[in-house]
Amino acid sequence: MRTNFCSRSLLAAGVILACGFGVTAQQRVQSKAEVDITGLWLVQDPGSGSFGAFMNGVPKPELKPEIIKQNEEAAKHIEENIFHNLEDHSGCTEGGNFPLMMASSPPLNIVQSKDEVLLASESGRARFIRTDGSPHVDIHSPSYKATGFGDSIGHWEGDVLVVDTIGWPQRMCGGRTPYLETPGGGRALPTTHLVEHYEVSHEKNDTFLTITYTWDDPAVYLKPHTYSYKYKLLPGAAPFESEDSQRDASYQQRERTSVIAPKQQ
Amino acid sequence: MKAFCKGILAAAVGLLWCGIAVGQAAADHPDFSGFWELRYDSFNVPRAQLTPQAASADMAKQEENDRLAIRWCDQLGTPALMAERQPLDIRQSPKEVAIVAHPNSSVRYIYTDGRKHPDKDDYDPTTNGHSVGQWQGDTLVVDTIYFNDRGVTRLPGGGIRTPDSHLTENYKLLNNGQNLLVIFTWEDPKVFAKPHTYAYMYYKVAEPGMPRIYTCTSGDKTRANFLMTDPKPGTGWPVN
Repeated sequence: MRTNFCSRSLLAAGVILACGFGVTAQQRVQSKAEVDITGLWLVQDPGSGSFGAFMNGVPKPELKPEIIKQNEEAAKHIEENIFHNLEDHSGCTEGGNFPLMMASSPPLNIVQSKDEVLLASESGRARFIRTDGSPHVDIHSPSYKATGFGDSIGHWEGDVLVVDTIGWPQRMCGGRTPYLETPGGGRALPTTHLVEHYEVSHEKNDTFLTITYTWDDPAVYLKPHTYSYKYKLLPGAAPFESEDSQRDASYQQRERTSVIAPKQQ
Repeated sequence: MKAFCKGILAAAVGLLWCGIAVGQAAADHPDFSGFWELRYDSFNVPRAQLTPQAASADMAKQEENDRLAIRWCDQLGTPALMAERQPLDIRQSPKEVAIVAHPNSSVRYIYTDGRKHPDKDDYDPTTNGHSVGQWQGDTLVVDTIYFNDRGVTRLPGGGIRTPDSHLTENYKLLNNGQNLLVIFTWEDPKVFAKPHTYAYMYYKVAEPGMPRIYTCTSGDKTRANFLMTDPKPGTGWPVN
């Protein structure tokens, strides 16, 4: 009798434990998140001396000759203070500059949710990376409005977030050049394809995010151009709202009165 | 021996319970991620009870300030971005919630990682303030301070946002996740005679078309005319 009781008890315990592992394993699978890259991440500049030197201090891309020539002309125009975009805003893209944002000192502000990753520049708005399995939008549709961030979709390969971006603008409204410049002298054009890999690592007490960018466009590059930036997590930090013109009342007054007021009718 | 076997059985049940509890805790909170829009029946906004000082304040000046902020593409801030008619994009991770609005405004970040508000000397006030959130059951209770006085500052129902404003919000999903109820309570001893509470009911919608954010152009003369001058039918207004 005792032996039967014990046998049955042990059997029941085994079944209960097996069920428990099954249930909790399923919950662990359901609640298992990929690596969470949420946080404020500061790009690490090892000491380039200037923003331009940092942004362009990537492995030199192999560019098509016509792009090299265009870059030389643009450099000459900049030295001569010739700007392209101040007045004519027809048929151009106003918002966003992906390559600038990813290389700039304002930290990347990333919030990773179930279906989408928001990747902003400190307080500003910016990129949306869809991770819900949906494909790219139709970038050739008349209703598609390109921004300087393109259209991004992402998926996880183990602990690495792989992001695919297309749909870059033909012409930018703001900036020293009418096209979206990429580090090293490349371009992000409607024909351009970008793949990024986001990978978290830990060194001593710090957490880093390495983003590897690969730009590919037969209209720009002789072969795909790859480089990496490393970002350091700033735990507990909050973003700064950089609106310098609003912070200085006298500057704001000058800014607002430097434009001729609309005529009263 | 029997006691031993009973003990094994009890331990197994205990382990099972603990495992389920831990697993459940990890997936306990509702997820507000998605696109949320306001509709004609989304608003319950009582009139605020203002202090005598606030009631006698020059509201025409406040209206002009807000109009200038919109005309010059300033960051709108809270509460204006929460009242935007284009769907809000809410992204929720275990550590923080981000709220992105279509018009010109900083992203709102609500920190749910247990952090407290920073010291006043360590934080530069913003149009959205500094927000921390705690779960109370299925409700996310958000506490916001450190607002500045820039952007659109007039509040629904009366009163204005100031650097002394304190905002408490309750976020809760309703109707199987098809609605998001947000109850706002503003306190500011110089503005409100008693805390001012109002509510919005957002509707969940599909992802809106591109672009997802609106790029404001202060140099757009038609837009400037529209915002800053009186309508004149039959004159070609607001085109210059």
